[in-house]
Amino acid sequence: QEATFDNGKKYIIGGIEVKGVKSYNTQTVLTYTGLRKGEVITIPGERITEVINKLWKLELFSDIEFYLTDVQGETAFLELVIEELPTLSEVKFQGIKKQGKIDDIVKETDLKKGKKLTESFLTNTKNFIDNKYRKVGYLNVKTSLFTSIDTTATNAVNMIVNVDLGEKVKIGNINFEGNDVLSDGKLRKQMKNTKKKFFGRFWKKSKFIEDDYKEDLVSVVDKYKEKGYRDARIITDTVAFNKDENTLDVTIKVQEGDQYYFGDITYLGNSSYTNAQLNQVLGIKKGDVYNGVLLKKQIADDSKPDANDLTNLYQNSGYLFSSINPVEVSAENDTINFEVRIIEGKRAKFNKITVVGNDKTNDHVIYREIRTKPGALYRKDDVVRSVRELGQLGFFDPEQVSPNFKNPNPNDGTIDIEYGLVERGSSQIELQGGFGGGGFIGTLGLSFNNFAVKDLFKKEAYKPLPMGDGQTLSLRLQASQFFQTYSFSFSEPWLGGKQPVSFSTSLSRTTQFLFNQRTRRADKDRKFIISGITVGLAKVLQVPDDNFILSQSLSFQSYEFENYQTGLFNIGANGTANNLAYTVDLTRQALSGNLIFPLYGSKFSINAKFTLPYSLWNGVDYANLADQEEFQLKDANGNVLTDNAGIPLPDSEKIEQEKVNWLEFYKIKFKGDWYTRLVDKLVLKSSAEFAFLGAYNQDRGVIPFERFALGGDGLGQFNIGGTEAVGLRGYPNQSLNPIITDPVTGQQSNNDGATIYNKFSLELRYPLTLKPAASIYGLTFLEAGAAFNNFKDYNPFELQRSAGLGVRIFMPAFGLLGIDFGYGFDPLPGQTQRNGWETHFIIGQQF
Amino acid sequence: CFSVLVSCNEYQKALKSEDTKVKYELAQQYYDAGDFKRANRLFEQIIPKFRGKPQAERIVFFYANSYYQIKDYYTAAYQFDRFVKSHPKSEKLQEAAFLAAKSTFKLSPKYSIDQEETITAIQKLQAFINAYPSAKEIPEANDMVRQLRLKLDKKAFEIAKQYNTIRDYRSSITALDNFIVDHPGTPFKEEALYYKFDSAYRRAMNTYEYLKKTRLTEAREAYDDLKAFRPEGEFIKMADKLITDIDEELVDYQETK
Repeated sequence: QEATFDNGKKYIIGGIEVKGVKSYNTQTVLTYTGLRKGEVITIPGERITEVINKLWKLELFSDIEFYLTDVQGETAFLELVIEELPTLSEVKFQGIKKQGKIDDIVKETDLKKGKKLTESFLTNTKNFIDNKYRKVGYLNVKTSLFTSIDTTATNAVNMIVNVDLGEKVKIGNINFEGNDVLSDGKLRKQMKNTKKKFFGRFWKKSKFIEDDYKEDLVSVVDKYKEKGYRDARIITDTVAFNKDENTLDVTIKVQEGDQYYFGDITYLGNSSYTNAQLNQVLGIKKGDVYNGVLLKKQIADDSKPDANDLTNLYQNSGYLFSSINPVEVSAENDTINFEVRIIEGKRAKFNKITVVGNDKTNDHVIYREIRTKPGALYRKDDVVRSVRELGQLGFFDPEQVSPNFKNPNPNDGTIDIEYGLVERGSSQIELQGGFGGGGFIGTLGLSFNNFAVKDLFKKEAYKPLPMGDGQTLSLRLQASQFFQTYSFSFSEPWLGGKQPVSFSTSLSRTTQFLFNQRTRRADKDRKFIISGITVGLAKVLQVPDDNFILSQSLSFQSYEFENYQTGLFNIGANGTANNLAYTVDLTRQALSGNLIFPLYGSKFSINAKFTLPYSLWNGVDYANLADQEEFQLKDANGNVLTDNAGIPLPDSEKIEQEKVNWLEFYKIKFKGDWYTRLVDKLVLKSSAEFAFLGAYNQDRGVIPFERFALGGDGLGQFNIGGTEAVGLRGYPNQSLNPIITDPVTGQQSNNDGATIYNKFSLELRYPLTLKPAASIYGLTFLEAGAAFNNFKDYNPFELQRSAGLGVRIFMPAFGLLGIDFGYGFDPLPGQTQRNGWETHFIIGQQF
Repeated sequence: CFSVLVSCNEYQKALKSEDTKVKYELAQQYYDAGDFKRANRLFEQIIPKFRGKPQAERIVFFYANSYYQIKDYYTAAYQFDRFVKSHPKSEKLQEAAFLAAKSTFKLSPKYSIDQEETITAIQKLQAFINAYPSAKEIPEANDMVRQLRLKLDKKAFEIAKQYNTIRDYRSSITALDNFIVDHPGTPFKEEALYYKFDSAYRRAMNTYEYLKKTRLTEAREAYDDLKAFRPEGEFIKMADKLITDIDEELVDYQETK
């Protein structure tokens, strides 16, 4: 029955029949419609349309129709015929092999079981997949969706997504037209993301990506602008698909226009800086080739927050509300005159400084590091540095340190800053086992980098550990069959809370057991023990500048031998040695760029370690120990033994023991590193180091401890007498020590280490990548160094030389790893043949 | 495993049981006996089955309160808030609203870290006080608000005072001034005035000659402010020891003028 909208008539619903339901209950559908038996409605009328729309919106049906089946007087009987949308059961992909890619698509398109397959959903899915692949260069991609009825479920379908990727389309030619001043090659170089395919470019992409291409076109125009062609523009650009070659040919038509020059640059509105000062920062002279990009950069460089531009000149001296605008005032032929209009505004001061988001770290630990202080003149630089330094604390995610400027008040000249922080875990647990040194080595390390000692005895602070005062506490246990090491260290960066004076202390104890050659096991009764304690203070100096760090420490070490004998010290099987020393170190470090790959700058350090001159007052005549009965060999009855000539035999162990019971020495070290940026990111690192270990009393002699061991990778190794390993590539580890002939036995050895050494090196470095996830750089080096037994032998020109190359990889999770191949040009001490190639593995950072 | 009412076995059985009634009754028993941990586990299991039914009101309240009793204040606050929203006509509404606010109060951390929960708790308690001005919990609510305000005062004061500790006296003066303005009626006012004077004193004593007179005058004014606020007390006694230095030097500068 045809009925028009205009002459709708009122009926009472006598009943509604639902037809076409497959998976739903008839009653459910009726409830959805909201129509009730007995309801008065107009047919045709808005009510029915409304119901239909409502049902459509559910996105469950592909067809919805109402029929008037019967009319009995005022009563109408309706029939609702619906067709349910099929539900998706299973999806299979064809043409994409990687499960990961499939999962991505499923996730992004929501192609999951139970999805209602509307027409628009199917179209969107197809388009999505097509676009996804087109974007990465598969311009020939064809996606088809096939559905088949799933017989195991009601009203469900299985789907096959067939993705025919086709051949990848690469870029064939990039042609420029209309360019006279800049060559095709130069312009192509500007297109950083859109590159021509050619032989040899197989490891990099040469795909056509629309967005990147648009960006590249802007770069081309910018290049012209840098050269003074400020009117340059791209008239047309065409991208044509070359079917035969399956490539895209790009043709770009440019209009270069004329070259322009800077004319007069005048300033308006500047009262705190003179024109000359501003000109110096701007760095653009009259007659320079017009360069809009440079001009913009010198006024406000958006890419660098700490750039040396005009905006920062003002922003770093309180002018928060300043604004600077260059305006072209006139042009004479090819010369453009500029007026830089400056509104300085009132100088602003920092007012309220607040911190939010510190759920663990106590306020005082944070506020003392923030450089923006209440009442201080506004400086953008202080904000930038505060953000960086808060990130460097290690307690917060550096990416999420956000300075929020609040309540800027141009009238009072005040600004509030709220630093938003996000805490991150800063404690580490190290538990590892490994093989080395002839057996299993187990390590347990705990380090808490944001500890709070004052809460140690507060029960409620254990969530799970007392935290928030920025202190470091670490414990480390390492044990194997042959040795055990326990160490504990603690540091507080602001001792007393008044100044950044860092306090640190550490305790350690190492027990080394003798290796029994016969049983090939450790002999637990024969051991030597090194125990030590160190207390240190370090302070950043304010004078002459804040790149200086002065640190001092007091250390005590004791060496005890129990039935243990080593060739190194001739102090008997049960000897002891004590080392109480004071160390002072002054370091100046001013490096640019990150610490992993400094671009330029330098680092110097001078370090002195010394003990008290005990021999000044202890009354021991070290020169003539052998003449004293106490230091002579005796038989079982206590009679002095003599040689054939009747001269008493000296007890060399006892003499040695007397010399080292309290070690007496001084040690001076100097080290300098210079980083010079040659071109681009090619950096030359030159270093020089020199160190000397001496004795106050020559009769007592230079101690066999604390010496230097030159050669090899220079990595710290376990050394009995506190020997310092100094690297010199191209030679085996510790191979360059001077050879000493024992005056008694006449044996030659180089076990003792040197008392003086110098080393020079030149290293050329070039980074392959400097991303936060991994920094990689390659290097080549020239090195030379030598170690001597005393000052008399010292000759700065008698050096062992080497050259080589290597690579370093830094990843935050693993630290620094590297490998170097070095060629030693000179023979090892006591040999005649040049040493030749050596391979060194570098683990860990050496600062 | 020990319980007065029922054996441990029964609890385990109820946990695994499919019978809602068994769980419900046992949960109620545990709840009445004060074993909120077990009651909580059982309520958690049956709550979805009662959603939308008349018993839900009772159960959800018990459920929320069991969290409160086992000191899981975070969840307790959430569950009480939910109760308040879904049962606006309940007899327990006022109690639930109070406990929701009190749970948040319990979440407020020590003063020296971020105070988001403290601020939320003050807002919630204030909302409760406004909504039920004659409730019996009002004195307690007021007391909690006072404690939280005091905590915020303490935080702001310690931050401002730290500038004095790290010897940045100019910042200390600005920060303490801001503190005094932003926290009217704070119990730390006397101390804040003292530290402001102390900062001004040290700043005046170590300044350039040409700034000396201004700084000395500022210190004198800071002293006067403290004296006017609290003429007797330990802080003014400490300040009295320092003010003579200021006055002596001021005399010199007046004369040389």
